[in-house]
Amino acid sequence: MSGRAITELDPVDPLDPTPVLELSDIRAGYGRIDVLHGVNLKLMPAQVYALLGPNGAGKSTTLAVASGQIQPTAGTFSLFGRTVNGVATDALARAGVCVVPEGRGIFPNLSVLENLRMATFTGTSMADVQDRSFARFPRLAERRKQTAGTLSGGEQQMLAMARALATDPAVLLIDELSMGLAPIVVEELYQHVANIARDGLAIVIIEQFAHEILGVADVAGIMLHGRIQRVGSPAKIAEELVSAYLGADGHETP
Amino acid sequence: MSKETAGGSEVMSSARLSQFQDEVTKLKLKGGGANPERTGTAWGVGLGIVGAIIVVVSWLSAKGASTGTQLTAEIAALIGVLVGLVGVALWVRNSLTRYLRYWLIRLIYEDREQTERLIAAIEKLAEK
Repeated sequence: MSGRAITELDPVDPLDPTPVLELSDIRAGYGRIDVLHGVNLKLMPAQVYALLGPNGAGKSTTLAVASGQIQPTAGTFSLFGRTVNGVATDALARAGVCVVPEGRGIFPNLSVLENLRMATFTGTSMADVQDRSFARFPRLAERRKQTAGTLSGGEQQMLAMARALATDPAVLLIDELSMGLAPIVVEELYQHVANIARDGLAIVIIEQFAHEILGVADVAGIMLHGRIQRVGSPAKIAEELVSAYLGADGHETP
Repeated sequence: MSKETAGGSEVMSSARLSQFQDEVTKLKLKGGGANPERTGTAWGVGLGIVGAIIVVVSWLSAKGASTGTQLTAEIAALIGVLVGLVGVALWVRNSLTRYLRYWLIRLIYEDREQTERLIAAIEKLAEK
């Protein structure tokens, strides 16, 4: 694979205001193994960016770079045009970059309320955290004293999202929301994502095979072999998705 | 950009974005160091070795020397000890941080796996 593999199907915004979050030619990996080979991603204010791709494409690593958990070995990670390579994860979280991790990132042995208390680290009061969480996810209010590990998969994801949103984030990074969940539950969760998006948050959501997210997203990208190969409108990406997964996209593979 | 939330009481507006932009401007950067603890540990070991060398050299230079030279060697040795102590402190601090981070991650993963096993067992019992 040589040169820049990105293909712009639709220009996202012709006026091109400053992106809230931008990754430019990012290379990163684990130890000596490079996983990302030049990732370019622009997230505009109030935009939902769906990053799709098969297992091992580098989606979660991209999210780890965007949340400061992994430092890029090359390229620039910037927020509002300021390069923030090397920024501490907790500083990013306090500023307003929040991650909902893959596999229901909750503390299973703690109760719903105790999990929500974890969101008070940014200085938000527990009363505010509860108000915000229960207004958005009323089902959690009914189960406030229940041990989080005994909630259904969908409720656990709601709790993870509630905890993230309680910190009043400006950028939300969601990793594989649909993992291990029934399609009807996934549909309900995406309704919540759509509601959150209407509030004006900039959201990056990554998924393997989720057509549901394309209905919520403003822009979508297909990631393969550590690069975002296609960027465009969800409708166009939906058409491209199958051929990209099956390797019929005409792109050379490593 | 100012839209009402599902709850209707809260507003995510450009004010939040401006606040975010301000906070990003204030962010302190560490210069892209991929592993600050590893760097800290290396500095600790390095300073420890330098401190020990200073102490040994001071000891050797003080042997059979005049009182004035011995006084200089003593001061140098004291500096060596201080450098060594700083090195040891750096090493302990960074090694502990690395170990505790690893321990915490392991604990969380084990806890999660155990709960999932427990839920699977309960679900299996419920099916019977």
